[in-house]
Amino acid sequence: MDITQYFTDYTLRTITLGTAVLGAICGMLGSFAVLRKESLLGDAISHAALPGIAIAFLITGAKDSNVLLLGALVSGLIGIWWIRGIVSKTHLKTDTALGLILSLFFGFGMLLLTYIQKQPNANQAGLDKYLFGQAATLVESDVILMSVITGISFLVLLLFWKEFKLLLFDQDYAMTLGFNTKFIDGLISFFIVVAIVIGLQTVGVVLMSAMLLAPAAAARQWTNSLSVMVLLAAIFGMFSGVFGTAISSSQPNLSTGPVIVLVAAVFVVFSFIFSPGRGILFKQIRLLRNRRELELQKTLYFMYSIVRKHDDISRPHAIRILNNFQGFTKNTLSKLEQKHWITVKGNTWSLTDSGFETASNLYNTNNPLV
Amino acid sequence: MNPSIEIQLIALVTAAACAIPGVFLVLRKMALISDAISHSILPGIVIGFMITQDLASPWLILLAAISGIITVVLVEMIQKTGLVKEDTAIGLVFPALFSIGVILIAQNANDVHLDVDAVLLGELAFAPFDRLFYEGTDLGPKALWIISGILLLTISLMLAFYKELKLSTFDIGLSSALGFSPVILHYGLMSVASVTTVAAFDAVGAILVVALMITPAATAYLLTTDLRKMILLSLLFGMGSAIGGYWLAHWLDASISGSITTVLGLLFLGVYLFAPSKGLIAVLLRQNRQRKEVSLLTFLLHLNNHDSKEERHVAHLQEHINWQKVRAKSVLDLAVQNNMITIENQVVSLTRKGLEFTEKALEYIITNKDEKIEAMKDDFFLFRG
Repeated sequence: MDITQYFTDYTLRTITLGTAVLGAICGMLGSFAVLRKESLLGDAISHAALPGIAIAFLITGAKDSNVLLLGALVSGLIGIWWIRGIVSKTHLKTDTALGLILSLFFGFGMLLLTYIQKQPNANQAGLDKYLFGQAATLVESDVILMSVITGISFLVLLLFWKEFKLLLFDQDYAMTLGFNTKFIDGLISFFIVVAIVIGLQTVGVVLMSAMLLAPAAAARQWTNSLSVMVLLAAIFGMFSGVFGTAISSSQPNLSTGPVIVLVAAVFVVFSFIFSPGRGILFKQIRLLRNRRELELQKTLYFMYSIVRKHDDISRPHAIRILNNFQGFTKNTLSKLEQKHWITVKGNTWSLTDSGFETASNLYNTNNPLV
Repeated sequence: MNPSIEIQLIALVTAAACAIPGVFLVLRKMALISDAISHSILPGIVIGFMITQDLASPWLILLAAISGIITVVLVEMIQKTGLVKEDTAIGLVFPALFSIGVILIAQNANDVHLDVDAVLLGELAFAPFDRLFYEGTDLGPKALWIISGILLLTISLMLAFYKELKLSTFDIGLSSALGFSPVILHYGLMSVASVTTVAAFDAVGAILVVALMITPAATAYLLTTDLRKMILLSLLFGMGSAIGGYWLAHWLDASISGSITTVLGLLFLGVYLFAPSKGLIAVLLRQNRQRKEVSLLTFLLHLNNHDSKEERHVAHLQEHINWQKVRAKSVLDLAVQNNMITIENQVVSLTRKGLEFTEKALEYIITNKDEKIEAMKDDFFLFRG
């Protein structure tokens, strides 16, 4: 595998570009799906697109991928509209609505596909590539179409940025301000469906949901700002596409879609562990540090309670008398000394002025310890 | 037995076996776990096949069920970190496991006769070909035996733990306070769902399993809030669709799984639209009526506040309150029907009843005390139901 192949090999270049663009748009719009707690929307809609593909084929009889994708778009939109209807008009919850639409539409699509296969028309082969996706079938015009759609959705995102943001975090407030929340809501749903539909061809129905939410879930760990999150998610998605294509092309029999998804999963795992603010690693470190700090304070307070009974606070006490207290180790003593809270001489310790001061304020809630 | 009856029997038993855990999944807001499990069992099957080289081996089912439970455990673990919500956790786990399964298949494509399509889509029509023999005697399709065993297990587990399940589904706090372990119930339910999915996917495919689990339960939930009735209705819907779907497929010469799902879909659509109190039409009618009633109340309060003729003129409704003609008229009609107002020379005035009503309503609005509206409930439909 040679890096120059990316610039000389037409197929590889097209696929890499295509998956990169797909990753970017999915990450960008997926952020909204994740923040709206609709992570599995991608899964539901990508399944719901199947009957649209089948019907488009039945109507036109042609296998033009743009026509089929249009069918997928329509059926995905019907799916999302029905999901919203179920959630808002009945007491069924989002997860049930998603599962319903996912399985019912997909089953209906299967019915249509098997019906088509029985038709005396040799042209139907290849429809099932939408199920599992085939990045290898991407051609330049697909990539151009995907780029144009990504560009449009990026522009719309910029144009309606504050509306989207407001709707995301405080829908009621947006409504009272007089924004047409239904329109904004429909707009974002529309673009999510568009992103899903253009991804169908590349990674397929099943893996589309991961494309939509993995980059967003990874990006979420690094920032609390929406704009940074959307940007990061787009970048993560892009890199998932590029790396995934590179890895899958380096070996025979490695399907692109699943590899892209696994690369995105690696991003997620890495972010979960190593992100500074929310990551498991730093959270654990902070927890340990806090626990040690508390231990020190407990020791200090215990010393304070001994010293308090005497007039002279700097009078040395034997270290031995700390023994019945669990928080005491050599380590804690030297830590306390480092902070100039105590001085240790031989087998004795004595509280310093600043140590006394700190300890007396320790449990005073009005003077939180610095 | 002829294959047609055998297929219908398998479909029927599968529908019943899926419907029971499905009810609890829907009620516990975990409907999508079935979708996740149905996809993430793929690596289990592939690994099982690579070890045994036999698609009929019970190891496959065992490994698949284990990977189903691993999915649940992973989802739980990710969720516990608090970094993402539960749905995101589900959405992260199953595509990753599924991807591993697909890659494993592709890597061993030459010697594995395992098709991703077959796993996902299933083909009920082939189920009768895989038969169980005991000392040379044909005992019927293997799938029928497996899924019947699971149905029996599910039913007996449900009967044994009915009250625990019921309590932990509706009030998890109380159930753990009473000493039922929510964790054991959770994993018990998940194990049943996982085993059912695994057993059913072989015969009917992953997507139909999801449809058979969620749709009957969701449809029943629109018709009743009684758990016992909900379970019975789900069984009825699932099994009815299984038979109906079989004949639809027969007629169209198409996939049986697909047509069963389609019948389930039509059934759900029908109930979604026409269910007596929770259907879309009923809800829209009710919302429309409530909107009208709120308008009426606003209007009556307005009348109560303004004495001048000009404020009470019919045309004023359109000018001042800015209601459209249709809305203004329907509100007026409603008020007249209820003897709340009289209209003379296009001037509206409150009747005694209307006056009393408005004052009570005002009192309720100011105090916001429930007992104030108790008396009004009878003569005004706004507060009914």
